[in-house]
Amino acid sequence: MLGLDRRRLSLPPDVQRWGLRLISIGVFALGWQLLAHRMHSLLLPSFSETLTALLSLLVTPELWQALWVSNQAMVLGFGAAVFVGILVGFLMARVRAAEQFLDPYLNILLVIPMGALVPILIMATGLGLFTRVLIVFSFAVVVITVNTRAGLQTIESGWIEMAQSFGATERQLWRQILLPGALPAILTGLRLGMARAISAKLYVEQIQLALGIGRLNQDIQGGFDSANLYATIAVVVGEAVILIQALKWIERRATPWTEPSVVE
Amino acid sequence: MIELCDCRKTFISKHAQAPVVALDGVSLTIQTQQFVCVLGPSGCGKTTLLKAIAGLLVLDSGEVRIDGAHVAGPGSDRAMVFQNFALLPWADVISNVAFGLELRGAPKAEREAKAHALIVAVGLSGFERHFPRQLSGGMQQRVGLARALAVDPDILLMDEPFGSVDEQTRRLLQEDLLALLDRTRKTVVFVTHSVDEAARLGDRVVLMTPRPGRVQEEVDVPLPRPRPTDVELNPIFLERKEYLWQRLQAMQTR
Repeated sequence: MLGLDRRRLSLPPDVQRWGLRLISIGVFALGWQLLAHRMHSLLLPSFSETLTALLSLLVTPELWQALWVSNQAMVLGFGAAVFVGILVGFLMARVRAAEQFLDPYLNILLVIPMGALVPILIMATGLGLFTRVLIVFSFAVVVITVNTRAGLQTIESGWIEMAQSFGATERQLWRQILLPGALPAILTGLRLGMARAISAKLYVEQIQLALGIGRLNQDIQGGFDSANLYATIAVVVGEAVILIQALKWIERRATPWTEPSVVE
Repeated sequence: MIELCDCRKTFISKHAQAPVVALDGVSLTIQTQQFVCVLGPSGCGKTTLLKAIAGLLVLDSGEVRIDGAHVAGPGSDRAMVFQNFALLPWADVISNVAFGLELRGAPKAEREAKAHALIVAVGLSGFERHFPRQLSGGMQQRVGLARALAVDPDILLMDEPFGSVDEQTRRLLQEDLLALLDRTRKTVVFVTHSVDEAARLGDRVVLMTPRPGRVQEEVDVPLPRPRPTDVELNPIFLERKEYLWQRLQAMQTR
């Protein structure tokens, strides 16, 4: 244990954590500001300019419209991925034939880069909402499926045997053992799936289709308005961070037993 | 009364060419309210024997009968205590203890009251809302024991329950188990690989040999109940322990 014992400042843990986070952001902002002043370039806005642009951007209806367009694909695609991913994960864990039938596709989807799959999907299905939903879905559904399957497969056989020894029916086995046993892995799958969904959405909009936030972005880029460009990127990053943190929070709340704890 | 009649069970193993014979013609009779220890080296089919009584596996041939009735699956007359505790990590202590009652459809108030009483009985009061991972191994097995006793079974099936805790904890658990059973006499089948444990707890010790798993010998331990805590000074205990030890050694050097 000695080797793992990290040094701590003698502050309350919460104060230290938030204090250091704020200082970290402060140092980053200051560095940016100094660098921008030094370079004095049209292409690198200063931190303060970006912040001002961000604040004014947040009150324009264009931003919210763009976010709405962007997130339609996100909500539909990710929603479908959650539903299908969990269902197929369960199927693959319990039915051997389903596992053997679907595993090759899952492996392909898992390793294929976005740059390879997205042009094919656009060519096959056009430029509409359906295509974007399909792309978000394709990238999110794999990790959700894989994690759900792994969650079920790694359930301790001892729990199942124990429940059976108390006369558990098949229904009770699902409800009392398999679902709660797989829940931590499923939730991790949702978080990883969300991360993939976000990058898929951004990739399509920024590089391929120029829609929603991506459209807004390209308009700004065309005008060499670097501060606004940085501000839209900040909005995109901000949304991603909020979504991922929200899922982390749900994970912690829903599966408190997975948190390391000490004997009192 | 538990009767095993000519029980045979084989498993297909990935590593061995031929199927592994876990039980080969095992016949055994266990009287009601008797405490029987099943002793033998690892791989001798002790756990398979226990699972056969629990109704958790299908025998190749032979039959298990309880009070004359054929055992086709798990039943409310039996409850099992597991070597690795098999506690549910997402459920707190009281829910783990009440698990068997919950499966049997007992109302929440009733099962919590019953579970609470057993938590007190096994010496864990105050830990009702703890999660298993917050407890030591010995405490976890107390939860496992309380869970089995909560369904008030006639037969307690224990699969090396104290095998994974340290010596001191093991002795405490043994004493507490004996004290609990003195209050509510039950039929107990207790699997162990410890000679000391078998002689200390059992009315009778069934010695098993491995590959194929057979009953080699049955040894009575005529010590009084309740067992005195200084049983290790009793000449009968010492003599039986030494005898079992020699039989076990002969088995392993054979």
